[in-house]
Amino acid sequence: MTRKVAIVGVGMQLFEFRKKETVEEMIFDVTRNALENSQLSKEDIDAVVYGSAADAFCGIHNSDKVAIDASGGILKPTMRNSTSGSTAISTPILGYTHVASGLFDLVMVICYEKMSENLAAQAVFSTCYDETFVRPLGLNVPIQCGLEARAYLHRYGLTERQMAKVSVKNRGNAMSNPYAQLPMKLTVHDVMSSPYLSWPVKRLDTSPVTDGARAVVFASEDVARELTDDPVWVKGVGRGADSFWFMGRRNNDLGRLDYAYLAAKQAYDMAGIQNPMAEIDYAEVYDPFTYKEMQHCEALGLCPEGGAGRMIDEGISLKEGALPVNASGGLQGEGNPIGAGMSRLCWCYLQIKGQAGACQVPKEVNTAVCNGWGGMFQYNAVMVIGRNS
Amino acid sequence: MENRVCIVGIGFVESEPSVLGLSHKELLFHSTRKALDDAGLERKDIGGAITSSYDFLEGRSLSNQYSLDSIGGVMKPCDLRLGEDGIYTLFAGYMEVMTDPSKFVVVASVQKASDMGGPEGSTYPKLVLASMEPVFSRPVCSSIPNVMGIEAVLAAMEARAFMERTGLTEEQLAKVAVKNLNNNNSGTKKAGADLGDVLNSEMLSWPIRRLMKAKETDAACTLILGSERKVRSMTKPMVFIRGIGWCSDQSHLAFRPQGVARETKGAASQAYKMAGVQHPDKEIDLGEISDWYAHRELMHCEALGFCSAEEMGSRIADAAFEKAGALPINVSGGLLGRGNAIGTSGLLRVAQVALQIRGQANGYQVPGVGVGLAHSWSGIPVACAGVTVLSKW
Repeated sequence: MTRKVAIVGVGMQLFEFRKKETVEEMIFDVTRNALENSQLSKEDIDAVVYGSAADAFCGIHNSDKVAIDASGGILKPTMRNSTSGSTAISTPILGYTHVASGLFDLVMVICYEKMSENLAAQAVFSTCYDETFVRPLGLNVPIQCGLEARAYLHRYGLTERQMAKVSVKNRGNAMSNPYAQLPMKLTVHDVMSSPYLSWPVKRLDTSPVTDGARAVVFASEDVARELTDDPVWVKGVGRGADSFWFMGRRNNDLGRLDYAYLAAKQAYDMAGIQNPMAEIDYAEVYDPFTYKEMQHCEALGLCPEGGAGRMIDEGISLKEGALPVNASGGLQGEGNPIGAGMSRLCWCYLQIKGQAGACQVPKEVNTAVCNGWGGMFQYNAVMVIGRNS
Repeated sequence: MENRVCIVGIGFVESEPSVLGLSHKELLFHSTRKALDDAGLERKDIGGAITSSYDFLEGRSLSNQYSLDSIGGVMKPCDLRLGEDGIYTLFAGYMEVMTDPSKFVVVASVQKASDMGGPEGSTYPKLVLASMEPVFSRPVCSSIPNVMGIEAVLAAMEARAFMERTGLTEEQLAKVAVKNLNNNNSGTKKAGADLGDVLNSEMLSWPIRRLMKAKETDAACTLILGSERKVRSMTKPMVFIRGIGWCSDQSHLAFRPQGVARETKGAASQAYKMAGVQHPDKEIDLGEISDWYAHRELMHCEALGFCSAEEMGSRIADAAFEKAGALPINVSGGLLGRGNAIGTSGLLRVAQVALQIRGQANGYQVPGVGVGLAHSWSGIPVACAGVTVLSKW
């Protein structure tokens, strides 16, 4: 019997290239913030769920286990999830499942990443690759994204200029975000003249390496109604992944993310949403690279397939636009501590509640969608949240 | 109750210390194929897939991505990867099925640490330092002069604390090893060992001797879960998951009481509450629990409520935990007997109990198992454990 589940509070903290705080301290801060914002104490929490993409970044095996105390998890059930970049949303989905299954009433979900504890994040990323077939090719994330971006632009006739507009939008939006690492006032020319990491992806199309954490508190319906008159419900969840192996993928066209469309469909079917362009008020989509925001907007049905270029050209996704995307600045502007991309969910919640501060969009927000993406470019997780209509 | 969760398929590949002939991916494929055949299902029937692995043991980041193809999870609606002991995949799978009873969920775990370090158990001890909090704990622990590494020393510390509290002796600890080594019917050890073999084996750090510590091995295990109403039409014997629980104690060794498994007690109390078990020593017919070290089997028996510290000596003397005893523990051989595929062994414990309940534990079946308990512990230096109570009805 699936219970209704609500979000009753979120925990935020500044994203920075290198935080002075240790993994434990980051987690403590964000958990404390979430408890305060939900008006709860750590004794109220029944279970803790952690999400972090790769222990190799911070150099601690099972890094969540050093933060049991810091997260209020002592002698409680704790579980750690790790699905690379999509950890950002698959972890809160796991938290949601803890409550929806009927086992727990109040669950604290903490997503974190400390990417600064190594000499080069790209070197750590390379430890993901299969050592026999893929590593000898000399791939890295910018190169892979260059290939994917090229396939995408080619398939739908989109341009680098349109990608650049996403960067300008998001980094500009980040100037209103007190937790952002890279607020920047840019022009399209600035982005277009930034150096290529791997054509057509340029430095200013790319999110930074970041330390940071986020927390979200999920509650069962009964408990949520005790805590607030205005619960924000989890309406739909979806997850999908293609094969890890490039040589065996279901979709061999990197331009179209079949697994992302699959995840979005699950989430929308569950939420009873048939026309996302009309029914979604706000979105925070995963944008580690500018073209990814475009691909994800299409996969999430926020614009027609191939229509993301027009979406940005016509200002639809601007903060004051008809369907604002990433008014927080997204990963481009706020920062990309891989697991803590759960920030996308946090900002959807804050926008719905009218608590997004200077990032608040002018239109009314009742239903929002967010997604996370990652792995060997083949995982996607989607969550739709909103008020009862 | 219509909506209980059942185990409908079981498959595993247990192995010698290093499996040279099969890759990591192939190991997992074979165990999943077996589980599907056992359940009478095909890949198209799979509605969700969950795995768990430890990056640093696998030697690659995002390690559990590699498993997706092998478990039939490609382009499936649920795809979840945990960084926990394999038994946690059962818990996450249980919650998935409770949330959406229309799906069959595959839960799986594979361990091929031999790719990293070879068969002599050399991989995990190196990992223990990497698991520790780096500011205060690691510097202290890395300076301890023991050629076997910090793991043996930490195991010895907790064993000594346990022995002091309970009055148990080295010999009584060794008897656990003798029991499990003799219970083993296939696996990494030569068949059987006696007390002398154990007590004369190489000293790692007093009182931990070589034969009191499970050797690392490779293995893969897959279970398929479904809701009761979905499996009702299937003709095979069902195994019901009556209770689950998992629990983490404090992160830091310096603050944690030694020689007592609070994490196991916490996990058990949740599982027993769900299962309606009030007197585990009487209501549980059989247990497969973590005997990563001989002393740990006893610590967990106490924490699981199988016997008190005072009773332990007499229970050991009465052979209460032997195959013919009142509460058989680790008749499969456990980790000491079969080897420890770190992480995957947790899910294998569940598979072993499920086989006993089905009456399919060929060669080591205990008669009349109606309610069984599977337990796993995530290993030094963390304090995390999971428990499940399984039953025939």
